[in-house]
Amino acid sequence: MSRLRAALLAVVALAPSCDGVIGDQPVPGAALPDIPGQLPVFQAAAPTLHRLTLVEYRNTLTDLLPDRVMIPTDLEVDTPLYGFTTIGASELTITPRAAEQYEAAAMGVADQVFGDDALRTDFVGCTPGSTSDPCIRAFLTRFGKRAWRRPLEPAEIDQLAALATTIGDSFRDPWQGVKFATASLLQSPYFLFRVEIGEPDPRSAGKRRFTTWEMASRLSYLLLRSTPDDALLAAAERGDLVTKEGIERETTRLLATERARSAVGRFFVEYLALERLDGLTKNTTAFPEAMSPTLGASMRGELENMFDDVVFTRDGDFREILTTQTTFMNTELARLYGVSVPSATETTFARVTLPAGGPRGGLLTSAGILALYAHNTLTSPTLRGKFIRVNLLCQDIPPPPPGVRTDIESTLPADGPFTMRERLEAHRTNPTCASCHVMMDPLGLGLEHFDAIGRYRETDNGLEIDASGDVDGTPFADARELGEVLGQSPEVGACIARRLYRYGNGHVEAEAEERAVVGLADSFEAAGFSLKSLLMAFVVSDGFRLTGEVE
Amino acid sequence: MRRIGKLTLDRRTLLRGMLGGAAVGVALPALDIMLNDNGTALAVGDAIPTRFGVWFWGNGVRREHWVPDGTGAGWTPRAELQPLVDLGLRPWLNVLTGFEIKTATHPHHSGMAGIMTGAHYQQVGTTRDTIVSTFAYPSVDQVAAQYFMETSPTSYRSLEVAVARFRGTDEGTTFQHLSHNGPNNPNPSEYSASAVFSRLFGMGPTSPQIALARRSVLDAVTDQVTKLQTKLGARDKERLDQHLSSIRNIELRLAAPGSACTTPTDPGDHPDVDGREQIVETNQAMSDLMAVALACNLTRAFSVMFSTAGSGVVIWQAGASNSLHQINHDEAPPAPTVHACVVFEMEQLAYFLNALRLTEGDGVLLDHCALLCTTELSEGWSHSNDEFPIILAGKAGGKLRGDYHYRSTTNENASKALLTVLRAAGLPLESGFGYEAGYVTEGVTAVEV
Repeated sequence: MSRLRAALLAVVALAPSCDGVIGDQPVPGAALPDIPGQLPVFQAAAPTLHRLTLVEYRNTLTDLLPDRVMIPTDLEVDTPLYGFTTIGASELTITPRAAEQYEAAAMGVADQVFGDDALRTDFVGCTPGSTSDPCIRAFLTRFGKRAWRRPLEPAEIDQLAALATTIGDSFRDPWQGVKFATASLLQSPYFLFRVEIGEPDPRSAGKRRFTTWEMASRLSYLLLRSTPDDALLAAAERGDLVTKEGIERETTRLLATERARSAVGRFFVEYLALERLDGLTKNTTAFPEAMSPTLGASMRGELENMFDDVVFTRDGDFREILTTQTTFMNTELARLYGVSVPSATETTFARVTLPAGGPRGGLLTSAGILALYAHNTLTSPTLRGKFIRVNLLCQDIPPPPPGVRTDIESTLPADGPFTMRERLEAHRTNPTCASCHVMMDPLGLGLEHFDAIGRYRETDNGLEIDASGDVDGTPFADARELGEVLGQSPEVGACIARRLYRYGNGHVEAEAEERAVVGLADSFEAAGFSLKSLLMAFVVSDGFRLTGEVE
Repeated sequence: MRRIGKLTLDRRTLLRGMLGGAAVGVALPALDIMLNDNGTALAVGDAIPTRFGVWFWGNGVRREHWVPDGTGAGWTPRAELQPLVDLGLRPWLNVLTGFEIKTATHPHHSGMAGIMTGAHYQQVGTTRDTIVSTFAYPSVDQVAAQYFMETSPTSYRSLEVAVARFRGTDEGTTFQHLSHNGPNNPNPSEYSASAVFSRLFGMGPTSPQIALARRSVLDAVTDQVTKLQTKLGARDKERLDQHLSSIRNIELRLAAPGSACTTPTDPGDHPDVDGREQIVETNQAMSDLMAVALACNLTRAFSVMFSTAGSGVVIWQAGASNSLHQINHDEAPPAPTVHACVVFEMEQLAYFLNALRLTEGDGVLLDHCALLCTTELSEGWSHSNDEFPIILAGKAGGKLRGDYHYRSTTNENASKALLTVLRAAGLPLESGFGYEAGYVTEGVTAVEV
């Protein structure tokens, strides 16, 4: 073991107190160092069932069913783990309540399709003359393949056809049989879960790979958050998706679609927890002109547009998202930012180039991030700093131990006013607090020129703001410079690669997968940090294509 | 006492369920007309069932306003318990103070897992860039639900509702959900009163023919799940086992349509007004629905998550302008705003308990409830796990004393309260309850009858 790595592990072992890390380099919980020789041989994780997330379930039904079918809304909200719904969906099972909702939803959409004569004939492709009409079997074979994302085995088709016959007979109506058989396909574990078990890899003894059909699902849910389209199913049928060339060809095709742009955006939304902006509330007394019920959603819209611009329009260095002067505003945001954007409306975002000498540029100075990581009226350098450490650098901040006094007010002298930096002085001087807070607060204080709703301010409580600090030794004078420092950090790139690995696989990497994660980070760097290139490197990597033995 | 005027019996629904002849428990309402002459037992001969529930609020209390003066029956509430006494709930309150979570290592996760399972939380994974935990064992509401379903099944195994909007973190299921069947296996709470209404009372009658067809579909799905299980690892098999049991429950309900009560009014939802969360209105709607569901015996086990552990709920009604979690950290003692928020939370609990004073037998529904009312820590600003706030509410059919303050002077194990309230609900638990440092063999005998 290298000395660096040994030192790192020793520091990790000291957590959660953070003791002994003040001023030390490197910081605890940092991603394992890039020393491939020191990493264990890659071993793929055991297969696991991936339940469709709420977004995936709804997208999948939308793609499978005729346009005019209303997709049910009474569905369970996902439980994200490690920030990602995909991980929650691979860890958790279907709850009893969700099983009820799936049953009701499947019956609901089947009622819609089969309650309309023209719609059902078009959907099924024939009019069954009897409950044993072969056209029923043909429909179940065809629709079954789409719904279960693989060809059905003869016994499976037999079961569904028998169900259609029995129910059709009891109603004396073959349509009813087809309807309930369709509902059955949509309640099946093969529909509600992605079942990816793998097969022996013929090119590598002792290893297992995902099958061509399983790869179709993996690619489709990663890149579209929905069920494979016809072309992808055809590629799977040809066996293309067990080859690097086949995977690359389909990935290139899918990444060029509009749908992939918004679906890949899901990664970004979950990575930064942007869904929490939808329910953003801030104190309306403190922010009477600014706060509105739609403001949070507007802030999210800006960030989603910014992501799309960096990743798809420019396809440059993804880390530019930390420094970019190009952003997007609707009228509500333009008001908040205090700029005039004539081409914006309440609902459409206009491209805006921020002034070169202004205080803003990139993600960290976006109202969405600033408001999300702040309190109802006050800023929170701690939350903002924690966001940078945890989300952007993949570092660990343990929670305060039980029994620690956390009321900051009682540490202040009676005579105010104070700046936030002064208020948080105890976080950095009291040794118990400082051991962890010294990692967070100094970075967050770099964003003190922006209040709890993301508006620019010259002063805090009437006092001058000192937004300077350093990122592990590299100094910055203000928020723009903080973004510049992070925007050049290879750790930020490595962190994104790690998060993508977790999101795309639906689990947190085990130590035996570390080599794949590090390799992905290296590919990302080699490709100039292009996120599209990162996705391409990921889908053809062992970390995405191989699976372990069933445990 | 309160009555819900619209609560009547739908004999046709009930009869169809009984004539269906299926070997399942048909939900029988414990309403006056179903009781024998002395009003103590169901006409069919069963005793009025005891219900088990949890009412949870996040961020603790201010202990100087919480712990009552005096002990035993001669206790006097301080300001934070006053709202409960003001509504005349004193006879149903067993206030337990001086207890401690013995498995405390983390500010919020420990208390949450400790008071809901009698055990330490289970850390998920080994990655250290975020704290993720789940419950290692089923939560007490599910322990009770399991027992009830084995002894006298109801239409719904359990019901889970929430009141204040989720404003916690995503540090695992411990933070996001209250009720758990086991590790990473939560029962998420329903946040929409309107959705609770639709689920329990909103469905029109299903024709027997359609119900039969839906059951056939579920049979086919069961078959698929069972076949799939043979190809999977142990963990996935277990995940699907639970799905199978959920499917069976749907089938049972289709075989014997449950509710014998007619429908209360749809309370609708209460969206924010001027950015202010309508907590009082939502709490009232949820409380009233749960009261009817329990009175109709749609379930015997439930949980109400008023707010989450470490909740960022903004209780503007109590003068707060920041999240409760945050003012717990920011406000210096005596923390008047935190205190006002706790008083508000106890007013909401008081409304809920009062809603359970529906006539039942010769008493009220609350006489037949064993309820754990608690939070995840003692005080938010210190994250302390001693002096843990616990109220056992209800008479549990005479098994809980009521109108009593028991004060432990020896920091007794908080799991004792869990053992007492579960035993009061009828669970034998002869070998005690809890795990490792949370394990106890003796309850709080002072409030047991």
